[in-house]
Amino acid sequence: MASTFPFSAIVGQEDMILAIQIVAVDPSVGGVLVLGDRGTGKSTAVRGLADLLPPLKVVAGCPYGCDPAKTAGVCAQCSAASQGKPKVETRPVPVVDLPLGASEDRVVGALDLEKALSQGVKSFAPGLLAQANRGFLYIDEVNLLEDHLVDLLIDVAASGENLVEREGLSVRHPARFVLVGSGNPEEGELRPQLLDRFGLSVEVKTPQALDLRVEVVRRRDAFERDPQAFRQKWEAANEAQRKKIVAARKRLPNLDLDDEMLHLCAALCQRLGTDGLRAELTLMRSLRALAALNGKAKVTRQDLQRVAPLVLRHRLRRNPLDDTGSDARVQRALQEVVGS
Amino acid sequence: MNLTDRSESQAGSELGWALAALAVSPMALGGAWVRADHGPVRDQWLAFLKDKVTPCVRVPFNVDDERLLGGLDLTASLAHGTSVWHPGLLTQAEQGVVILPMAERLDASVLARILQAQERDTESLPARFGVVALDESLEDERTLPSSFAERLGLWLDLRQLSPHDEIFTDFDAADIAHARAHWLQLTLSDAQWLAICQTAQALGVDSLRAPQMTARLARILAALQARSTVEDHDVVRAIQWVISPRATVLPQNPSEEAAPPEPAPPEPTPPDPQDAEQQDNNDSENTAPPTELPPLEDVVLAAAIAALPDKLLDRLTLNPQGLRGAGSQGARGVQRHSVHRGRPLPPRPGRPHQGARLHVLATLRSAIPRQKLRTPPKHGALLALRPDDFHCHHYAQQSATCLIFAVDASGSAAVQRLAEAKGAVELLLNQSYARRDWVCVLAFRAGQAQVLLPPTRSLVRAKRALSGLPAGGGTPLASGLKLALEVATQQARQGVTPLLVVLSDGRANVNLQGMGGREEAQKDAHALAQACAQQRLSSLWLDTSMQPDPLAKQWANLMQARYLPMPYAQSERMADAMRHVVSGMRS
Repeated sequence: MASTFPFSAIVGQEDMILAIQIVAVDPSVGGVLVLGDRGTGKSTAVRGLADLLPPLKVVAGCPYGCDPAKTAGVCAQCSAASQGKPKVETRPVPVVDLPLGASEDRVVGALDLEKALSQGVKSFAPGLLAQANRGFLYIDEVNLLEDHLVDLLIDVAASGENLVEREGLSVRHPARFVLVGSGNPEEGELRPQLLDRFGLSVEVKTPQALDLRVEVVRRRDAFERDPQAFRQKWEAANEAQRKKIVAARKRLPNLDLDDEMLHLCAALCQRLGTDGLRAELTLMRSLRALAALNGKAKVTRQDLQRVAPLVLRHRLRRNPLDDTGSDARVQRALQEVVGS
Repeated sequence: MNLTDRSESQAGSELGWALAALAVSPMALGGAWVRADHGPVRDQWLAFLKDKVTPCVRVPFNVDDERLLGGLDLTASLAHGTSVWHPGLLTQAEQGVVILPMAERLDASVLARILQAQERDTESLPARFGVVALDESLEDERTLPSSFAERLGLWLDLRQLSPHDEIFTDFDAADIAHARAHWLQLTLSDAQWLAICQTAQALGVDSLRAPQMTARLARILAALQARSTVEDHDVVRAIQWVISPRATVLPQNPSEEAAPPEPAPPEPTPPDPQDAEQQDNNDSENTAPPTELPPLEDVVLAAAIAALPDKLLDRLTLNPQGLRGAGSQGARGVQRHSVHRGRPLPPRPGRPHQGARLHVLATLRSAIPRQKLRTPPKHGALLALRPDDFHCHHYAQQSATCLIFAVDASGSAAVQRLAEAKGAVELLLNQSYARRDWVCVLAFRAGQAQVLLPPTRSLVRAKRALSGLPAGGGTPLASGLKLALEVATQQARQGVTPLLVVLSDGRANVNLQGMGGREEAQKDAHALAQACAQQRLSSLWLDTSMQPDPLAKQWANLMQARYLPMPYAQSERMADAMRHVVSGMRS
């Protein structure tokens, strides 16, 4: 895509930028939930990041974009053909939009009608989930998404695989994607189960400082007038960012949390009464990813203070009618557990 | 600068300008949201649009995905024996506009498709068509979802125009073509950028799309007049068209700020950005002396305020929280029987239309037994298919429910009872949270009924609306029922099942006109209660009087509502009872 707004040229929105970098380094952290105003560059950030990431190596022609280096967790064709060396091609990291009124057919995939009618072949036409494999699935206004789609996404996001049993088809294909949802909580709430599937959550606001606003609008304008030149100008910064993420990915497997840190995480989650162990796991993974991003060999307390609000703020068990900010509660718990 | 005194013909000229600007680049402006009733004014506007912009593609209200995005033409494919593809309407609209009549009733999925197509491969630059959304919604009805409206640059209201007004513009096709070629080269000065952003901020327009659209429009306006610089009045005009209609708050006492308390600061105009920044930091002294020209951003703000429509001002002052999200409060209608989604039902015969998918197995199953009767197919096909064989997918879908609470907050429903009622509603909301119901709260007291909370899923807001509810005054039962009935019909029209819960003691003593008098009040309430029964509105009457009151029971009977006396109930018990009844009503 020639005309994606460069990621490094995004002004402000530190939380959101950090969150999507973390999931880019370690997709197992889970998705990102972005809550807040419209027109704050949510989708720009996601697209910008995907554009910046190094292209994926995929098995040539595979509709699911399977990784040629892997044998487990690939689609049926690729695992059947895994004996020989598959042809490899590169593709940009996919960003797939899930529109609000999407039908189930389009999301999960369905019988390929054209082939069925013209050739009499029973074949599967992959849906959005297949396209999103190894990339990002972006859902605008996720809080208004219809329940049946939410259920479906919850299931797929948890298992990393899409199982289709309909229209006489029986297909199973990998669908590992980073879920990025956005929405305005004033217009409706998310079910707790879906909330829990999002690894991180951030709140975005239009910058209130006037000069920041002007800067955002002017950069955008400069980009629109001449996308090529603008991208060129930011290419160096983008390149640095890319290297940072790639280096962080390499560093990630060698990073580990020491016992003290693990205890702190557990104590924090316990203090906040989060359900299940997903909070601890996500906290641990995001801490590692953050340390890797910063090029550090060890996770520090500062990292915890930075990441904990993103991981925990949407997991607090709450009375739906209690509108005291969860941020405040997380901060208080941090103060008590970690100390300042 | 006095812009409030618009003569009628000026309104016509402004619309002409807007149209010309739209014609220059429908994609850059995203399109227009046109609020107008069906009538000569709108027809004139549309005729004008078709004259200036080509292609104009009209997308009917009941369009299906295939027609919209293009796809396989099943019937033609069968007839020809090869797959026949047809292009979608959106492809046909390339470089032009898509006109959406009755846009307010369009299904969310259609709007989503259009938005997606518009933002397809580029997320910012030339979306390759503009959208003209014709909105006929009345004052209190659901309008366009705000996420959609936000992307349309121009918000026009043709309802103020009389049929005698002529929409006109001096720009001809050559001017428009010239502007199209040149507008991108024009630049805005720092002060102009600052003024745009500052005005947007002062009027509570948070989205940064609005300032971008404003800047584009200002350039287009300058280019239309064949100028090579963007003048301040272009910016002012662009702000009036783009930012003013989006205002959500009134700026803090603009008149106070405008009063010059101090002698002049030494800096003369025109303001440079640093100057403006200073002013920003230094709010109390940010005014220029009256002898000098006020700084650009002040002029711009004054102009933007002047362009705010009157009704909007009313609403803004009534509703200090602004209009945020108001557009999407109407529930998206949910069909109970759907061809798109839900639990699968057995396939039914019928051609694929309205987005229904062909059920191939069932279609084949229906064709096979008739093969002997039919002439053998040509082109070497194995099966002779007729359109009669087509079967489609069908799904059953649970319809959404909206709980409408009509709360009697009059003096007779004594204060402590009101507190209990609030508690009960809150508890019920808690349960409704789990069920994902929609909730709407109305209150009636002292002469009138009002919607405290339009249908929403946000329970925090429901709670806020309730806790701020004052009590006292007479009991305008009739007005309360009337409002409840209106809301309920509106919901039903959108495919949501309304459930009415009235919390009152039934001692009506204010009539529909807001006048006291028991007899009149009873008569009005009687008529409305019967109307509720006629509309078959499922309802529940919670008697909030101290002792079970035969009067309330009588009302409930009249409405064919279930009656629940609540003498000294605790709110938990009340909620429990309500839950049972409500779940009974649902099934």
